[in-house]
Amino acid sequence: MFSTVLIANRGEIALRIARTCREMGIRTVALYSTADRDSAVVRFADRAVHLGPAAARLSYLHIPSIVEAAKLTGAEAVHPGYGFLSEDPDFAEICEANGLTFIGPPPRVMEQLGDKAVARRLMGEAGLPVLPGSAGAVRSPAEARATAARVGYPVILKAVAGGGGRGMAVVRDDADLAGAYQETRAHARAVFGDERLYLERYVDGARHIEVQVLCDSHGNAVHLAERDCSVQRRHQKLIEESPAPNLPDPLRREICAAAVRGALAVGYVGAATFEFVLAPDASFYLMEVNCRLQVEHPVTEMVTGIDLVREQLTIAAGEPLTLRQDAVRPRGAAVEARVNAEDPDRGFLPTPGLLTEFVPPGGPFVRVDTHAYPGWLIGPDYDSLLAKTVAWAPDREQAIARLDRALGEFRIDGPTVRTTTGYLRRTLADPRFRAGRHTTGLVAEMAAEEAAAH
Amino acid sequence: MTVEVKHEAQRGRITLTGDGAATDPVADLTALCRSIAELARTTTRPPSRIRLEHLGTAVEVEWPVGEQQVVTAAPPAADEPLDEGTARHVRAPMVGTFYRSPEPGAPPFVSVGDTVAVGQPIGILEVMKMMSPVEADTAGRVVEILAEDGTPVEFQQRLIAVEPA
Repeated sequence: MFSTVLIANRGEIALRIARTCREMGIRTVALYSTADRDSAVVRFADRAVHLGPAAARLSYLHIPSIVEAAKLTGAEAVHPGYGFLSEDPDFAEICEANGLTFIGPPPRVMEQLGDKAVARRLMGEAGLPVLPGSAGAVRSPAEARATAARVGYPVILKAVAGGGGRGMAVVRDDADLAGAYQETRAHARAVFGDERLYLERYVDGARHIEVQVLCDSHGNAVHLAERDCSVQRRHQKLIEESPAPNLPDPLRREICAAAVRGALAVGYVGAATFEFVLAPDASFYLMEVNCRLQVEHPVTEMVTGIDLVREQLTIAAGEPLTLRQDAVRPRGAAVEARVNAEDPDRGFLPTPGLLTEFVPPGGPFVRVDTHAYPGWLIGPDYDSLLAKTVAWAPDREQAIARLDRALGEFRIDGPTVRTTTGYLRRTLADPRFRAGRHTTGLVAEMAAEEAAAH
Repeated sequence: MTVEVKHEAQRGRITLTGDGAATDPVADLTALCRSIAELARTTTRPPSRIRLEHLGTAVEVEWPVGEQQVVTAAPPAADEPLDEGTARHVRAPMVGTFYRSPEPGAPPFVSVGDTVAVGQPIGILEVMKMMSPVEADTAGRVVEILAEDGTPVEFQQRLIAVEPA
């Protein structure tokens, strides 16, 4: 096992990774930008290195500085967390070239799966169902129209290099396709530096079901059941849960087995998430594969009792999986809500500023993953995630009630800070969500109903 | 709304004024706070006084000169005050290995007592096997060498102290 791990990330996930390292007796190195010098992980870690200024491209995305920091602290491995460089194959390769173990899949596998068009093809070849769409990138509006005509409307245009719910557009009509193509391409170029788009059938009334997979470097793979992440606003997840409600067992087994098959087919090593669209007719299709720890990983940890970061570390250290598929037995239900420093009344605008008060909830079977504390300045430089709140209970109904209770317990204040706790509680109370009959359209439906009521 | 930012380095004072009609008070305040956060991060000296006025309410915060807010259990080197007395510091522009000489065995770029000009090389920073010069951003006499030859340095770590001319 490694003696020192460098955490190439910030915020709640950096702290969450450091905690497992501490439990395993591994020294931790935190990195911080000037804006994060007072962050929780800086205090927690065994060593902290000032990496660069607030701008992420000069700090958390600046590969030379990160590699140098690893060298000067004697780190043997780098945990990239999620976001930032976690899915950058160049970073993974540079780490390896500098004698550092990158905690994630081999760079080549990451590159293949990071190109969503290539991933679609590879997974199709491995026998996973993929939505009808373009074979690779569509190179012109005309080609996009021809493909759309072939697969049928509605369609979704997605950035080949996309991720995080950005760089996609749903098109319902041939007349809108050319405009959407140009717009999404410009967005993809600006955000991902790669303007290539691919196109696939869009499924209305679908659910987002994803499967957590772990693979070691010895050819063993297990899945840790599924998560339902259908509560989304503009393709950003708000509430996630495990198990997925109203998912028949045979279908659950089929989806999970497909994910494991896909992971083994590409020689995956580490933790991966296979994201599927589940259509109303119970057919399912692979959307994409995420080659990193997910924001919503705690719901899986709560139902399985397995520490995913610990598994990532042991896999990266070359050890075989100790988990056997039949020993993975999820219990009860876990629901997570992402509390963000955003104002739901103003289009979810981020609300940076000083936290004068921050009292997270507690009580039985409640987990809060946060880096916030009273006196912490929520800066405008990074994302607005404030506290992931997770509740476990023997069944879904109790878990929802427990999460609602926990969200109501939060005491968060600051002159400019607003949070999404109230909005999340309204969502938990929605009858469609309560019944587990919601789709990815829930948030939009709620907004339309609210607008009609006023 | 626009936020005008003034930083009087001589007096270590920051003045922020927001103009425009307060059509959206929360947005105005958010913009103001963002500017303060931005300033607090980018200013080369810690602020001594911040005054925020918004819709008739004013908040003023003043720090006694010389008081340092220590919040980390083990404050990194880079968190030390920018200036002690009258000396200025040349700081590391990146994480890397600092070398005082152009090559092993050669005399150092600068030593205590030397006079440096703005833009003059005072050392080399090695980052991923690339060597780049570190230049003085202040003119004066070198009074202290703070980073030894061949040592790893963090972003903004103090390398040498210069008494301004």
